[in-house]
Formats: sequence, C-alpha cells, structure tokens
Amino acid sequence: METDLWILLAGWLVATLRSATPLLFVTLGETLTQRTGVINLGVEGEMLAGACFGFAVAVTTGSPWLGLAAGALAGGTLSLLHAGLVLGARANQIGSGIAVWMIALGTTSYVGRGFVGQKVTPLPQLVGPGAGDGLLGVLFRQLTAPAPLAFLAVVLAAWWLANTRAGLAWRVAGESARVAAENGLRPTWIRLQAIVLGGLLSGLGGAVLSVDYTQTWAQEITKGRGLIAVGLVIVARWRPILVLPVCLMFGLAEVAVLRVQAAGVEASSYLIATAPYAAVLIVLVVGHRSARRSRTMPADLRSIFS
Amino acid sequence: MSAREGWITFAATLAAFLMLSAIFFLLLGKPPLEMGLSLVEFAFGDAYSLSETLAKASPILFCALAVAVPGRLGLISVGAEGQLYIGAITGTALVLGFPELPPLAMIPLMLAAAALGGAAWGLVPGLLRARLDINETIVTLILNYCAVLFASALVFGPWRDPANQGWPATAPFPPAAVPPAVDGKVHLGLLIGVLLALALHVFFTRGRAAVHIRILAGNRKVGRTFGLDFAFWVTALMATGGAIAGIGGIIEVAAIQGRLQPSISLGYGLTGFLVSWLARHRPLVILPIALLVGGLLAGSDALQLFAKVPAASATILEGLLFATALAVPGLIARWRRSDGN
Amino acid sequence: MIMDREPLVRFEHLTRRFGELAAVSDVSLDIRAGEVLALLGENGAGKSTLMKLLYGIHPPSAGRILLDGRESPIRGPADAMRNGIGMVFQHFSLLPALSVRDNLLAAWPATPAYIGRRSKRAARVLDRLSVIAPDIDPERRVDTLSVGEQQLVELCKVVNLEARVVILDEPTSVLTPAEAQRLYDFVLRLAAEGRAVVLITHKLADVEACADRIAVMRGGMLVADFAKGERTTAETVALMMGRPAATAEPAPDRFAGRPARLVLREITASAAGHVLKGISLEIAGGEVLGIAGVAGNGQTLLAEVVAGVEAPSGGDVLLDGESIARRGDEPHATPIGYIPEQPRDNAVVETMDLSANLRLRALAAGEADGAYDVAALIRRFNIAPSEPTRRAGTLSGGNLQKLVAARELGVPRPAVLACYPTMGLDLGAVGTVYEAMFAQAAAGAAVLWISEDLDDLLARAHRIAVMRGGAIVALVENDGTLTRDRLGAFMTGAPAEAAA
Repeated sequence: METDLWILLAGWLVATLRSATPLLFVTLGETLTQRTGVINLGVEGEMLAGACFGFAVAVTTGSPWLGLAAGALAGGTLSLLHAGLVLGARANQIGSGIAVWMIALGTTSYVGRGFVGQKVTPLPQLVGPGAGDGLLGVLFRQLTAPAPLAFLAVVLAAWWLANTRAGLAWRVAGESARVAAENGLRPTWIRLQAIVLGGLLSGLGGAVLSVDYTQTWAQEITKGRGLIAVGLVIVARWRPILVLPVCLMFGLAEVAVLRVQAAGVEASSYLIATAPYAAVLIVLVVGHRSARRSRTMPADLRSIFS
Repeated sequence: MSAREGWITFAATLAAFLMLSAIFFLLLGKPPLEMGLSLVEFAFGDAYSLSETLAKASPILFCALAVAVPGRLGLISVGAEGQLYIGAITGTALVLGFPELPPLAMIPLMLAAAALGGAAWGLVPGLLRARLDINETIVTLILNYCAVLFASALVFGPWRDPANQGWPATAPFPPAAVPPAVDGKVHLGLLIGVLLALALHVFFTRGRAAVHIRILAGNRKVGRTFGLDFAFWVTALMATGGAIAGIGGIIEVAAIQGRLQPSISLGYGLTGFLVSWLARHRPLVILPIALLVGGLLAGSDALQLFAKVPAASATILEGLLFATALAVPGLIARWRRSDGN
Repeated sequence: MIMDREPLVRFEHLTRRFGELAAVSDVSLDIRAGEVLALLGENGAGKSTLMKLLYGIHPPSAGRILLDGRESPIRGPADAMRNGIGMVFQHFSLLPALSVRDNLLAAWPATPAYIGRRSKRAARVLDRLSVIAPDIDPERRVDTLSVGEQQLVELCKVVNLEARVVILDEPTSVLTPAEAQRLYDFVLRLAAEGRAVVLITHKLADVEACADRIAVMRGGMLVADFAKGERTTAETVALMMGRPAATAEPAPDRFAGRPARLVLREITASAAGHVLKGISLEIAGGEVLGIAGVAGNGQTLLAEVVAGVEAPSGGDVLLDGESIARRGDEPHATPIGYIPEQPRDNAVVETMDLSANLRLRALAAGEADGAYDVAALIRRFNIAPSEPTRRAGTLSGGNLQKLVAARELGVPRPAVLACYPTMGLDLGAVGTVYEAMFAQAAAGAAVLWISEDLDDLLARAHRIAVMRGGAIVALVENDGTLTRDRLGAFMTGAPAEAAA
C-alpha cells in the first residue's frame, strides 16, 4: 500500500518535472534577459530553432548530448539577430522579437521536414535499475539529466545575480542604462550578453523538449511555450528563484490535464490542450496586481511594457 | 519624418530586402534573379495569377487592419490570427444553426456573427489592458493558440459532418452563405476589406475621435489630464480590431473553403501584423502593401510547384522583410549621427 | 601657493558639437589638486557637457585633455574611474529599486567579484556610510529613503571613489539650506585632503560658500577664470548672464484680500510611494501662493490631485465653489492652467506638431480653438524652432517648457498651477514665464506655484506654504521679513521657535 502511494507520487513528480524542464530553461533565460532591460519575444523562435537543430543533430550524430549542445547554439545564434536589431538598430523590441520568430518558423519548417517521424537515442536515466524502491530511487530511475540541470541553473543564476559584481552590473543595466554608463559599465555589452544567454537557454530548452521530453520533431513543436515563458516572467516578478515554483506549477497543471484525460474523462483533446494557455492567462490576471505592487519590474522595461 | 526621409527609408529597405532575398535563393541553390522575376510573374503576371494574389491579399488585408486599429493607439496586438479563427467559428455557428436563411439575410447575419465573435476575442485583452494594465501583446499571442484549438475541437467533435467519413470538416455551406465571386477567387470579401480600409482612414484622420486617439497614442498622461478616456479607447479599438479579423475569418471560410476546417489561416495573422507594421498602421498604405505581400505568398506558392522552392520560403522571406524594415530606419539614423560628428 | 602646482587636468581648446550646436566651444582650463573650482553659468551654458568630456561620456569634437601633463587615455566612464576621476550627476544617479549597499557597490571601483553578505571585502564599501550616515540601513531600497538620506548615500558614493578629481553637478539643487551647508563642509574637507573638486553650479551661494577659484561659462565658451575675491558679485553675475545684473525685481503688489477662489479642503491621497496628509489651502483670485519644500515631499502628487490627474482618497478641490476633483478613473478635466514638472513626459504630445500642442486643450475638449493664436504664442514665448508644423518631439526640453507655459498661461485661466515652471529655462524665458504667470494673477486668477527656488518665492509670492512629508507644515505671509533660513528651518523640520 505504502509503496503504491510512493510510486504514484513519484510518477506525478517525474511527469511534472519532465514537463516543466524545457519551460524552466526558457523562462530562466527570458528572466535574465529582461533583468537587463530587454524583452525578447523571439525566445519562441529561439526555442523552436533549438528544438529543430537539436533534434537534427541528435538524429544525425546519434548523440543526444550533441543534440542538446547544438540546440543551445542554434538558439544563441538566432538571438544575435534580436540583439542586432534591438541594440544595433534600436528597433522596437516587440517587433524585433516577432521578426525573429517568423524567421525561425520558416527556417525550422524547412530544415525539419526531413526529420519528421525520425527517432533519437534517448538520454540515459540518472541511475540504473538497481537504485532501490524508495521515492528517490523511483524518481531518479525515471529522470534524465536536464531536470536537475535546470534546477541547478535556476539556483545558480539567482545566486549569481544577487551575489556577484557581474550580476549587480546586469541589475544596474536593467534599472537604468544611463546610470550604468555613468558608473563605468557598458550597458549595451551587458544587454548583448544577456540576450545571447537567453538565446542559449531557450535553444537548450527547445532541444530538451524535442530530444528528451517528446523525442520527436513536429512543425511548430513549441506551440507557444516561449511566449508562455514571457508571460511567466511577469508572474515570477523577474526573480530567477521564483521561476522554479511558477514553472513547476505550470508543469503540474499540464500533467494533471493529461492524467484527467487518460483517466477517461470525456472531453475533446483539443479543448483540454487549451488548459496550459488558460492557466497562464489566469496566473497573469491573478498575479499581476501583486507583481505591480512589488515594484520589481526592471525600470528600463517600463517604457516597453506600458 | 519628412516625406523625403520616408522615401529614402523605403528605398533602402527595399534594396536591403532584395539583397537578402538574393542571398536566400543562392543558399537554396537557385538563381536569384530568375527566381525573383518568376515570383513577380507568378504574382502579377496574368489574370489567373492576379486572382490568386488577390485571394491571398484579402485575409491579409483584414488581419492588417485588425492590427492597425489598436495600433493607432500605440497598442501592439498580435491577435488577428485568433480573432480570425473565432470569427470563422461564430460565423459558421450561424450558418450551421440557420442553414435555411435567404441569401439576403444570410450573408449580413453571418458577417455580423463573425464580427461579434472576433470582437469578443479582442475585448478580452482589451479589458485586461484597460482595467488591469496587463500587456496586450502577450495576452493576444496566447489567445491565438486557444482560438485555433477551439476550432479544431469543434471540427473534430460536434461539428464534424458524418458525410465526410474521416475528414475533419463541417458540412458544406449552403449557396446562400457563399459570398458572390467577381472573378475566380476574387470575391465580395475583398471589396468589404477595401471599403473598411477607406472608412478607417477617414475615421483615423478626421474628426474629434481621431484627435483624441492621436493624443492618447502620443502621451497617455496628457490625455488623462485633458479628460480623455484611455480605457474606453483601448477596449473599443481592441474589440473593433477583433471584429475586423473575425469578418476576415468567416469570409475566408465561406468564399474560399466553403466549410469550416481545422486550418483556416496560413499564418495570415502574423503576415497581417507585418503588413500593418510596414504601413505604420495607416489604412491607405496597408492596401498596396497587403497586395504586394499577397503577391509574395501567391508567387512563392507557384514557385514551390514549378521551381521546387521549399514551402517555408514565404515565411522566411516575410521574416527577412520584417527584420529589414525594423533595421533600416535605425541604421540610417545611426549613420547620420556618426556622419554628423 | 596652489597656483604653482602642475595642474591635474588641463583642457586645451576643447570643443564639443551636437549637430549644429556647439555645446562647448574652444575651452582651455586647468583643474588643480587641493582646490575647489566653481564652474559657474546659466542653464545650458555648457558646464555639464564640459565635465562629461573629462568623464568620458562624450568624446570631444576638437581639442585635447591632458591628465598629469599627458594626453588623457579616457574613452569612457570606466577609464575615468580608473584614472581617479569621479562624477556625481545632477539627478537620479541612485537606482531607486536597488538597496543602498548595491547602489554603493555599483559605483565603487574596488568592488570585488563576490559581493555576498559574507564577503569582507565587499563589506568595506559600507565603512564610509557608517561614518557619514550611521542610521541608514544598507539593505533598504533607496526609494524608501528620504531625499536627505539619499543625498547622504550619494555623498558616500563620492568618497568611496577615492577620486583625485571629484566633479559635483548641481549638488545643492535638491537640498535644504541646512543640508547644503553640510555639503559645503564636505566639499571643503575633500579639497583639504588634496583632491581637486569641481562644483558645477548656477548659484552664487555655492560659490560664496566654498569655491577657491571661479570659471564662468556662457554659451559654451569660457568667459572668465579667476580666484575668488578678484571680482565682485555683481561683476560675476554680469559675466554669467552676458549683461549687467538687473536690479532686483519689484516685489509683487501686496495681495488685496479678495474671497477665496481655489480651495483645497483636507486633501488626502496616496500614489507611487507618496502621500498627502490632509492638505487645506485657500487661494484668492489675484493671489500667488508659493509652495516651498524639498522635492519628493508630496508636491508632485498634490499638483496632480489639484489638476485632476489623480483622484484624492479624501477631501475636495473647489474652484469658485464647485468641486473639480477627480473621482475614480472616469474621464475628467479641469479648467486650471497647469504646468506639470518634466513637460516632455507630462504635458507634451511629442508626435504632434507645435500648433496642435498649443491648441491641445481645445482639441481634447472638442471646442473651437480660436482663443489660441499659435503664431502669437510662439512669438511671445520665443519658442524655437518656431515653425508651427514642426513635430514637438524635435524641440529641446527648455523649448518644450516654454511651449507648455505658452499653452497654459497664454490665454485667460480661472486658476493656475505651476510646478517648477522655470526649470531649465534661460534668463530671458524665465522672465517671460513669470510675467505671464503674474499677469494671470493680475487678471484675477488664483495662482498656486510650486518651486524649489526660495529666492524666487521670496521675491514674488504673496504667501508661502512649506510642504514636508506630505503635509503643509507652515503657511506664512511674505511680508518682507521672511528669510531663506526661516523657510529652510520649516523645510527640515527644525522646531518652530528656533525658526522664528
């Protein structure tokens, strides 16, 4: 009886973690980018690029690890376009993000054609089958490296932002590019770094989605997850550490929906698929007032958001 | 920006875009000049091409106007795609609910139902923005996905016509619900779109409302000081934009597809966003640009068939066009600045 | 003795152009260690730009800067800080959303890579703070500090720079007289430690208090450079303004005592961290009531409540007996002529042209705009460039300020509310704006005038109210016996007996 409960609990936990992991990377990346005062809707495209090129490399080389690396690189490369438009040509940030997304939509649907229906070698489980039947054993037997990696990245980023000189410089750039420059920092350089880091993390998130989570490639596989991430950044009040609970909650909602469906509740799968989008809208509405009150939005973002 | 600067920016954008497109075709291993000429040929070369182009331009025009209306207030709505789907759904609901209506009542009522549906879908982000100050861009983007899924849920579910066997689609529309065609695929919808653009041009350039919207778009605080109602205009313009996209949606379904299918739009929402942005939300400028971009889509469709150019080319070219249009003004300004020193 | 030393910094024929405008034009000047150099001039004379050339914010268009006799290697603020040059900017150089500690660390050249709580090296950034302001909790967000406390943090930032050259840009503009005195002592101490201090200012009081040498700039050029005491105050003023100092403006006519026209009754409100605690004032037609106080004590919120931009949570605003206060978010406008602070953000539609901006009130209300003679207003307020079809966003801040003054003061108003209406204006424009404001009073308007400039208030207001912490702490007749010091005491909250 007790073991059944453990297994049930572990099952939910694993499913939640696996569903939340791609989103964790993207949301973390977007949070860091926005902390320096730049919004990037192009993360949807960068995630898509990561998913597509990551999957392609994983299939061709047979190595899922190389796939993840290639995905991150693809996202990072595409983010350079956003950086160039926003920092180099001072283009509107929302418009630029959408241009990046369009280019990624077209490119991945072209490049990805040949990989529809292909299979990847899955990532190995964290521990072998002999790891015992306790909660942790069950947990780690079903998990792959990206989940703990995402946790680590979030904690590390939160610590780095609060406790290092470079992290402080990023926060200063997000509050005011002018003051940052007066203090001898180079805000444009900082923002470039932040956009590219956001791109790398989004690309990685996309690759985790295609190579590890779904283990398939389909056109527009991200289905707005990158855009959801931009919404979740607001809910997480621009604090990396809050990205964790927000994304996990989101993962849990997604799993709950899938389980409800599997349990035989009569409902259209398409209707059920709207649940994650509805969920993000609801948390935006519920969380927005408190997010405004907490005054944590980087000041230089205000001109773009209002 | 003076008219001269406007033309310089336009010419530079066009030149840069042509260059990027040439590089794109070279990367595909196709001769750029030949591809470019065929594209124009396939878009505007003969009556058939032109009618294909106009058929593509129609939904783009509606979507662009749907973006431009809130855009005049400085709002960035990317919701045309979702509003188009919801308009198609509510319009279809009317047709399926009252298939026996006479033609004279059917089309106006169908359009009205679509407009109401689209307006409701635009009202949601409008109200959230007006009352809670939630960013409209993110909300419209997320609502797009919901709308597409709703359409699928209906077409795969209760609305599926059993006569179709496995094929997900509603029953075909009765002839009364099909807008009269002028020639080939050129139909009443395009005329409605053009009239809407003219009406919006008048609305946004003449009269008191036009001034109020300009003041609020330029400086919300000043508008508030002088007693203007930002919240009202946000909701009104978001809903109006939604209604326009909704009309575009049902016209696409009724005139082109003849029944509701899971996929109505080939990314018209984003394309419309691009067109409105290029036109700086000016309805009269949207007209020619919608036509040109419609030609780009129709032309690349034909190229795909005849020159084995990938289907995704149109989207990539659109993205490049958008990126160029965003980059050029800033680069010109930067060049001027460094020149000045 | 000071004069013999090799100058730390030498400017040779420096010029800086922005497009057509030469903000700094052929300036040669030395800055020496152990000396306080007052860089004196009107707004727009090029003082800040000159110093920003040294600090690396802008490169010079022509000429060169020598540091210790060698060509300056400074290409940006980071280089400047490495070379021992520190600059404190006029406004908002603290980041309100960050803690005091983070603000200090961000500006400190010696900040270590790890700045966590346990870092002993990072903790040293607070050494100075614990001496200068032991009461300030370093973990507090700066936006929770009072203006005076923020100034202390700002000063701490400067000391932390360990700079050889300390540049202070208009440091006393937001200070009470007592706080300014503390700053002067601090400046003298820096010079005594052997540092070079450059004090950018337009106030003669600053010069009197602590300058060793005075450099006067006008229209981008250096017009004089002399030791203190070599010239009289009148000569200095003449140099600064380019003409002999005008005789003191005649004090306004004593207010005759008409019935109250604009009434503020027990107004309470709160917004964006500011509060109003039951403010009551009555202003008669023809009266000019000045409101003194250090910026950030609720003046902006009061102005927005009176102008109907923000709704009060309690109380009322009456004009000629009728309520004009905003209730909730419904559209609402008042007939008060209103000059808010920062006109570019709060009073101008940059995307529309000058003509539309001047007629904005009529356009918004949908009224005939015949009252606004655009060409005449542009001429009278000397707005440049002057084409009515020009986009407002292309004008300078000073000209936008004039544009707003022209719109709000250029036609008859029942009441006027002006916040810092002359900030950033040259002397001629200041005269025009004041003239228009007093003409409104003379024609029967009730005028509420918020200002930081005590001398201006003393010279021109009928009565002066002092605002502190969201309340009116004093309301006094300006009967000729009122002094800066007494107003200053009210502003800082010194006991009333001591003030009197």
